[in-house]
Amino acid sequence: MAVGFFTDTTVCIGCKACEVACKEWNQLPDDGFHFTGMSYDNTAALGASTWRHVSFVERPVALSEQLTGLGQFSWLMMSDVCKHCQRAGCLEACPTGAILRTEHDTVYVQPDICNGCGYCVTACPFGVIDRREDDGRAWKCTLCYDRLRGNLTPACAKACPTDSIQFGELDELRERAARRLAVLHERGVGEAWLYGADAASQPGTGGLNAFFLLVDKPEVYNLPPEPVVPTHRAGEAWGAMALAALGMAAAALGSVLASRSGRG
Amino acid sequence: MSGPDDGRYVDPELGLLLGEGAAQRIAAGEAREIWRDVAASLPAPGEGPTYYDRPVLKEPVWIWSVPVYFWTGGTMGAALALGGAAQLAGAELRPFVRRCRWVGAVGGAASAALLIHDLGRPERFHHMLRVFRPTSPMSVGSWVLAAASTLAGGAALLGRRRGLLRGAGDLAGLGAALLGLPLAGYTAVLVGNTAVPVWLAARRSLPFLFIASSMSGAASFFDLGSLRPREARVVRAFGIAGKAAELAAIAAVESEAGRVERVGRPLREGVAGALWTAAKVLTAASLAATLLPRRSRRAGLAAGLLGTAGALALRFAVFHAGKASSRDPRATFHQQRLPSCETSTP
Repeated sequence: MAVGFFTDTTVCIGCKACEVACKEWNQLPDDGFHFTGMSYDNTAALGASTWRHVSFVERPVALSEQLTGLGQFSWLMMSDVCKHCQRAGCLEACPTGAILRTEHDTVYVQPDICNGCGYCVTACPFGVIDRREDDGRAWKCTLCYDRLRGNLTPACAKACPTDSIQFGELDELRERAARRLAVLHERGVGEAWLYGADAASQPGTGGLNAFFLLVDKPEVYNLPPEPVVPTHRAGEAWGAMALAALGMAAAALGSVLASRSGRG
Repeated sequence: MSGPDDGRYVDPELGLLLGEGAAQRIAAGEAREIWRDVAASLPAPGEGPTYYDRPVLKEPVWIWSVPVYFWTGGTMGAALALGGAAQLAGAELRPFVRRCRWVGAVGGAASAALLIHDLGRPERFHHMLRVFRPTSPMSVGSWVLAAASTLAGGAALLGRRRGLLRGAGDLAGLGAALLGLPLAGYTAVLVGNTAVPVWLAARRSLPFLFIASSMSGAASFFDLGSLRPREARVVRAFGIAGKAAELAAIAAVESEAGRVERVGRPLREGVAGALWTAAKVLTAASLAATLLPRRSRRAGLAAGLLGTAGALALRFAVFHAGKASSRDPRATFHQQRLPSCETSTP
């Protein structure tokens, strides 16, 4: 059974209950207490011990059909998480087999296998997975693997007070998302759209198990506009390497042959 | 482990640490700075929005031993390839063949040590050979390095034997030579197979650069020792080809990475830019020293030192360019846009 998250950013109120529930359930350590001075976002980014992150965007642009006392202004909030890509860069890069796809169609890092090579960190086009220096291993959202085994909703979705984070079977989530999108369009919020809902709209990742309903460009939320798993383009690099290697073989043979004549 | 200062605030008397992240080790009392200082840059005309200029990607966590390995692995790969070619030439180059094999064997051990030093959990280094994953250049490379080092070591030990053992050594030497070819170049595929903008952009030219630099590195390494006249001619020709190809490949990487101005910027600015320029100058100087008409011992030594420094500077330049590039959200957005496919982006 393929499960995932549908995060509807239009109803996120930025309460960060998901961040707290995630830290509590998974017993993740704190990241130190920082004041970014940029916005209400003092979590800053996803990381090895931060598996949910709420971003806060203050825009000098009004949202369609929204009335504010401030004129041209709107708040965008989004609870970000590991996307559990259908074609996951981290999984395809992992040389140890520590990262695998589970029976729930989620991407999971086995902490007892990971040797901290750090390759997955460079392979994620979303910048999700990270290595904790003091721990030495790579960590990210497990989509609450332990809770799924007990037929429980992941902690973040359970804690979300507005149903911005919805958990469920992927097919059902896609239907729900399409219905919500239709409602928003009907109400005149034409800028609403789905990010990564399926392979057709995001071929570079084959679709995301954790997809989003956004109302602005992905870059505004710090999401790559058209993410591509690096291995999609690895063939070109391997081909170039084969050609270069042939060149080196020819140079080696040529150097040895030319040395016979007694002249360099 | 557990207690008030492990960042979890779970009283071991009252709660059990059994969560998915409970095993995460944390250095006591250390507050990690996750909001790293990033130089804010104003958007150029036509450039899109960012999220407070925060990086999209995580910076590569690799340390100095990785670029040094790029050099040792490349040098041993090219040395093994040259040794394999020299093996076919007959008895006169036999001592040189043995030397190439020893460079491969010792280089393999040094390379493994450098790579293990970089791991977050060095005691689990053998997990690298737990599976073979063709989609991961690091997995492919681990197997190639393990096999090439083993064969090179065997060939080196059997190099002076006679009869059947010598035949086995020669077979191992040829195998090591064949594996030396991908060993010199896979690291370029490895960095090209990432989301890091400058590496991803230059993925087609980087393999040429790394292999050419490996040839230059191996020739320079041999230049540091004393060579017989014919050996010196082999090394000289191989080195000239490598250094000339390296200078050409540097230009190719610059043009491939520079198709988007912002993506190629780390090769021109900062630490990476300085190292990149140093690599160019050192390699060109080494080539000039190699091309001197009357070769003295001193000129050979100079060519070797300059070439080695150039090859090392080049690997460090590529490494630091990747680090700088991953911090630039605009470069990342440029690279994560498929020209061929349209999404419903408003």
